[in-house]
Amino acid sequence: MMLESLGNPLAGMAWPLALLLAWLAGEAISRWLSLPRVCGYALAGFVLASGQLGLLPQPAGTPVALLADFAIALVLFELGQRINLNWLRHNRWLAVTSLVEAFGTFIVVLLVARGFGLAPLPALLLAALAMSSSPVAALRVANELHCSGQVTERMLHLSAFNCVFAVLVFKAIAGYWVLTSAGGLLPALWSSLAVIGVSAGIGAMFGVAVPTLLRWQRRGGGDATVIFAIATLLLVSLTHALQFSALLAALVFGLVVRYRRIVFSGADRGFGTLGSLLTILLFVFASATLSWSQVAQGAGLALAVLVVRTLCKVGACVAFAGLSGIGWRKGALTGLALTPMSVFAILLLEQTRHLGIDVFAQVAGLGLLVLALELLGPVATQRALILAGEAGREEGG
Amino acid sequence: MTLEAFKAGEALTMGVELELQLVDLTDFDLTAAAADMLFLLGKQPFPGDVKPEITESMIEISTDVHTDYGALLGQLGQMRNALVEAGDRLNVGVCGGGTHPFQRWSEQRIFDKPRFQELSALYGYLAKQFTVFGQHVHIGCASADEGLYLLHALNRYLPHFIALSASSPFLQGVDTLFDSARLNSVFAFPLSGRAPFLLRWEDFAQDYFGKMESTGVVKSMKDFYWDIRPKPEYGTIELRVCDTPLSVERAAALAAYLQALCRMLREQGEQGEPVSEDDYLVYNYNRFQACRFGLDATLVHPRRHETLPLRDDVLATLAQLAPHAAVLGSTGALDVLRRVVASGNHAGDLRRWYGESGGLRGMVDAAVRTFRGDES
Repeated sequence: MMLESLGNPLAGMAWPLALLLAWLAGEAISRWLSLPRVCGYALAGFVLASGQLGLLPQPAGTPVALLADFAIALVLFELGQRINLNWLRHNRWLAVTSLVEAFGTFIVVLLVARGFGLAPLPALLLAALAMSSSPVAALRVANELHCSGQVTERMLHLSAFNCVFAVLVFKAIAGYWVLTSAGGLLPALWSSLAVIGVSAGIGAMFGVAVPTLLRWQRRGGGDATVIFAIATLLLVSLTHALQFSALLAALVFGLVVRYRRIVFSGADRGFGTLGSLLTILLFVFASATLSWSQVAQGAGLALAVLVVRTLCKVGACVAFAGLSGIGWRKGALTGLALTPMSVFAILLLEQTRHLGIDVFAQVAGLGLLVLALELLGPVATQRALILAGEAGREEGG
Repeated sequence: MTLEAFKAGEALTMGVELELQLVDLTDFDLTAAAADMLFLLGKQPFPGDVKPEITESMIEISTDVHTDYGALLGQLGQMRNALVEAGDRLNVGVCGGGTHPFQRWSEQRIFDKPRFQELSALYGYLAKQFTVFGQHVHIGCASADEGLYLLHALNRYLPHFIALSASSPFLQGVDTLFDSARLNSVFAFPLSGRAPFLLRWEDFAQDYFGKMESTGVVKSMKDFYWDIRPKPEYGTIELRVCDTPLSVERAAALAAYLQALCRMLREQGEQGEPVSEDDYLVYNYNRFQACRFGLDATLVHPRRHETLPLRDDVLATLAQLAPHAAVLGSTGALDVLRRVVASGNHAGDLRRWYGESGGLRGMVDAAVRTFRGDES
């Protein structure tokens, strides 16, 4: 608005300027408040967005969105590498925890949304989004604090699983919504499963091909991050063109690479400088898609969902803590660490734009929920990991 | 406070302590999982003892007092199984090895216990750099003087234990070319090395320990990091030069080897075989040879002053011990060690895995599977 008067030269500089300001905000918030840097990025993105100060144009559907997809795909690739499916075989109660916290959240959020008078389909979409715990904040905070321990491990695993569930359910419901005339929920679920199957298949293909390429080139290590970043970029463009899920494909890509025994060393975690830069972009992008008008509505619903979602995740993790081999306190902290949701939810929404559903318009309160969790979620994760005594460095990042 | 009395007991009993690594199953680096492991292990009876070590990525197990090799091996196997099961439930790998091949000591967390925090404050980076993993073997002594006699009589055999147990060729990401790089870290401590040459407990307690204590440098025997030290409260001498082997089977065999050696040395002592301070002339040289070259080391005999291959010396000693092992019921242990002499120690296995898997992580992965008993 007021900055528009400065004209075009500034418009071209909008994104670099926003990144700079976001970086400054992140450093400031980390140094003076000991809060995670990503909160600063998110705050800067929201303040600078078109609906507020107006430095940034609405980024949804622009090339910046593709970059953001790339950024989150890198995170999911790294997360996939850290997922040990064997763990579920040895610890069945962890699998139970995962199912209960994810689908329990789905059910309670659905009930609350219906109680607030939301129509069935928007309520279902909101419930599906609420299942997911954003792995971006989780992984970023865990890496920044050099965390290791049960809360960290479980947070990352549960986050990966509930994101898969969220994509599955969300795609099924969205598909049903778009194709209501074409049949019931069951066919929609089937088509969603097919999308997920093919997305996972593409990811697995990359997971086999890239390590082979790497082995052929030379023995693993060193510059492996470059080829994985390029492959992820290719994966994102490919899944976009075919309208499959880039999120799932990237996760499976990482998972399969893990079983090919190629793993990043600590120094490469988070894709180094590239990862740090793209994280700023990702958080600025995510919160810049929100506008004040969306946020100002439905405070009651947003607050209620926030509360029941947190209670459900904490409750499930506490309930099965003992059975899965940790104390109830670490269980509760695991649940708390699962609070973040926003970046993943926004990217999931962004990637289903082609379906033509404006979920923010349909679900009053989602905007505020997403903004609140984008700012509070990483803080919850950070505090949980520090309270669990799993942070290697205790400063805010 | 003077040194406590030596609680002499049954001779030739043995007990084993193993310091083990806790590793992340994703990147195979050390992981700070000790507190979580101890919590889970504490929920059911553990077949032995388990406790924290100085950094959060180590755990120490110890057996009961045994006289029989088979029973010791059995208990170590049960403890191994309990650890592996707990690790499976927590997504943590447990493995042996004297060093972790690529951990960065600066990233280790000191376990939250007053003694460890004090050591960390005193030794600074040495405490973190001391993230190395050893096997300690206790041998029970019928008297304190017998303990001191054995301690000094054993010095000539010390390189055998270093070479047979060596499992720490890699440190900070590179092959050190030592078979046991771990002992070099131990040597950095001011109170490491060998015990003073005193053969009567009274002399040791008053003349040496009492004086050292009054200097304020030490408070208890725990402050000495000697290769072999007396442990008065247990009535044992404690051999501390072994790297933690990659399997509990080898750990048990090493303990039985020490037990049989002590039986032989005891008999020699009773026949009036003297020990002398001159035996230590070549001590550090032989120790270095064993650390550096493992079973390929060349030793200098402390009395005959001639060089001899360590491998031959071990084989000759194993042959000499056969009657003692037969009495003690540990012939099987000597067979295990004979195979080690023939096919190489764990340091050699680690180097081979490094080459085969093309990296440090693949090597740690193989070590984790070896500890589980899946192979080797």
